[in-house]
Amino acid sequence: MTATSRLPSGFYRVLAFLALVAAVVAIFALIEPRYLSMRNLTAVTRHMAANGLAALGLTFVVVVRKYDLSFPGIASFAAMTIGFLIAGGYSLGAAIAAGLGVGIAVGLVNGFAVAYGRLPDIVTTIATGSIVGGMAFLYTGGRTIFQNFMTSGLIDLNDIRFLGLNASFYFLIAIYGVAYLVLHHSRFGASFRAAGENPVSAHLSGIPVRLYTMGAFAVCAATAVLAVVLILAESGTADTNEGANFLMPAYAAVFLGAALLGGASIPATLAGTALITILLDGFSLLGVPYYYSDGVVSLILLAGVVLFDERLRREAAFLMTFLGFGRKIGETHP
Amino acid sequence: MAQPVLTISRLAKRFGPVQALGEVDFTLEQGEIHALLGVNGAGKSTFIKILSGVYTKDEGTIEIDGRSVEFRSPRDAIAHGVAAVQQHPELVGDLTGYENIFLGMEGGRRGFWSRIDRASMRRRADALLARFPVEIDLSRRVSSLSVVEREIVAILQALSRENIRVLILDEPTSTLTEVEKGVLFRLMAHLRAFGISIIYITHRLEEVMEIVDRLTVFRGGRRITTMSVEAARAEGVTLAELMLGETLDHVYPPRREDAGAGEVVFSVEGLRLPGVLDNIRFDVRRGEIVGVFGLVGSGLDELSKVLFGAMGPAEGKMRLGGREIAPRTPREALANGIFLVPGDRRTEGLTLSQASVFNMTLANLGKASGLAGLLRRGRNRRASAALAEKVTLHPPLLDRAVSDFSGGNQQKIVVAKGLFAGADLYIFVEPTVGVDIGARSRLYGLMRDLAESAAVIVMSSDCDEVHGLSDRTFALYKGRQIGQPSGDITRGRLLAAGIMGSLH
Repeated sequence: MTATSRLPSGFYRVLAFLALVAAVVAIFALIEPRYLSMRNLTAVTRHMAANGLAALGLTFVVVVRKYDLSFPGIASFAAMTIGFLIAGGYSLGAAIAAGLGVGIAVGLVNGFAVAYGRLPDIVTTIATGSIVGGMAFLYTGGRTIFQNFMTSGLIDLNDIRFLGLNASFYFLIAIYGVAYLVLHHSRFGASFRAAGENPVSAHLSGIPVRLYTMGAFAVCAATAVLAVVLILAESGTADTNEGANFLMPAYAAVFLGAALLGGASIPATLAGTALITILLDGFSLLGVPYYYSDGVVSLILLAGVVLFDERLRREAAFLMTFLGFGRKIGETHP
Repeated sequence: MAQPVLTISRLAKRFGPVQALGEVDFTLEQGEIHALLGVNGAGKSTFIKILSGVYTKDEGTIEIDGRSVEFRSPRDAIAHGVAAVQQHPELVGDLTGYENIFLGMEGGRRGFWSRIDRASMRRRADALLARFPVEIDLSRRVSSLSVVEREIVAILQALSRENIRVLILDEPTSTLTEVEKGVLFRLMAHLRAFGISIIYITHRLEEVMEIVDRLTVFRGGRRITTMSVEAARAEGVTLAELMLGETLDHVYPPRREDAGAGEVVFSVEGLRLPGVLDNIRFDVRRGEIVGVFGLVGSGLDELSKVLFGAMGPAEGKMRLGGREIAPRTPREALANGIFLVPGDRRTEGLTLSQASVFNMTLANLGKASGLAGLLRRGRNRRASAALAEKVTLHPPLLDRAVSDFSGGNQQKIVVAKGLFAGADLYIFVEPTVGVDIGARSRLYGLMRDLAESAAVIVMSSDCDEVHGLSDRTFALYKGRQIGQPSGDITRGRLLAAGIMGSLH
């Protein structure tokens, strides 16, 4: 039913993707043999978990043909909320539930404004993202939170391993499995896809288009919060800009995946996440500063889009100029 | 009489196997308003597209003032003094009327660096307005103008080249009110007095009587007749017959003998939506198809949307299967047992990049899914395969993207979607636009089958289709219902009702 299941073109796309991954890994391994070490593999899968979660929710937003630029802000706000509650002695479960609660609430506000209020998605989510990004400072005035992190069990989330890989990676695979069933094999997924491609026809088919559009923003916010929980567990501290690093990898994963596999889908986002994480990790292992590696990844995204999918050219070109290069310029001149 | 401005002889145009236009002779006198009449597909559009340089002719000659001309582009046509105003003029909403009129020729010079000289633009526009007096404030943005004011801006834009002698207006009144129409007609009369000749395309006969000098009827790509408006007045309803020609009776399935004898399945009473629909009242009985004929702007599409809960809320009562219903959304309409096959299948009926099985199951996802909302893949495929066979989908490929099917087969997929949804009332709007004759016949057969167990309403701007297919028919004219559904109304009278607003 999906574009990816259409053989043989889908089959060749998967082959092309695997060849691309093999080529990237081979190049990094030649330059830096440590790239193939178990330790690096663990690091790659751990980073993939956080990036993959952030990109997962964004996939739903892209499927309903909208953009969400607020999830980094939402993630930062949720991170500080969780940190503040843990520091205040609340249990880990309660803190994460509260973080999810505030995140989903902001996502619903986004979705309501865009779907029911008919506000422009990009402008609205930049605004809400900035507001909640600012609210992340309210708890401590901008100071890092770390109290009780060791004892709360949060750090343990990062340390649990199974067959050499972090628990977070298995969590990622499990949640992608669920998302795959929802988006590609359930009535809800059919509604998301119909609402995105042709909202008029979907409406006339009895699908509550606006409800699904709003839902996509809520899902995007929720997975961004889950992603930032993994980052908190890894770093052991909560910072006010904890979610800022999600934006470029998430968009790159969704759009590169869509370009590679012929349309936005859960498998496409997973493939995109894998490729982006391998690249970013390789660059960081080689000691390339992130402001170069982000630019390179953005260029690769553009190249992938141009090579594989004519339809996505325009949208992605616009966004990547905006995200990849916009951010680089912003951070080199603080 | 003086030499005609435009003389056309033996004009012909072919698109692949279709002879769109053949052996058309036509003359246009200086300073006359000449109407082109004909049903959809009669060849009017092809004719004016050749005249305005959009299409190139295959055969025949076009003479202006006795000299033979060749139009290879709209620019050629304009250079020879022929300008067309499209049905939906493409104006730039953010620019003023002045700016739109001189768009692309600011300051009279072409080129990227030519300065926009507002003063001279205004002077020239005022000179234009002095010649053709209309009350319009051209310094306002086009987006804030009314429909008729935009039409006037488009006409002034066409006339801004001073050599223009022939103006083509394509159905300019389909969305105008009576008052607005008066404004347009006054401008047309001025232009005529100035010696400009107008070719005027319309579906509405009563307008023809009001403003034109002569008229030409097209049918099946041929010119059938040309006559003065006085002669046309004397002809009356037979003019409608001239537009229709012979029926293609073999395309339509046989009607029922006992049409209108079954019990009432669906009825509406006093349906009213201000400015759109006025007091619509009819019923549909088991075993019959009720047909509604109406032109663009008649409220046909709106009526279908109101019945389906996609527009409104409207006043009035609807009853389906003995229950009173008032669907506020398509979702509620579907739950009540109504399915709409919308007029524009590509933008309203289908998710084009998705497979046919996806589209067929989309209007009843509850039936298509089971535990936890997971789609019952095997079951849906079997059901879709059976539906594909029933509607004779060709090729019967469930995984093929809908966009890869032909127009007729896309429409069959929409019908299959309706069958999967399962309804008590099926509303078909313009069911066979862009559908070839074989698929048309099959679709009509399917609609006839549906009528056995459900109520079926067909709404179309194709009078032949409505009359040929339905057991009982009525017309819609500017939101008003003309006549009660009847099996006795003739084709000519139905057409007359739809284009003139009366049965006589």
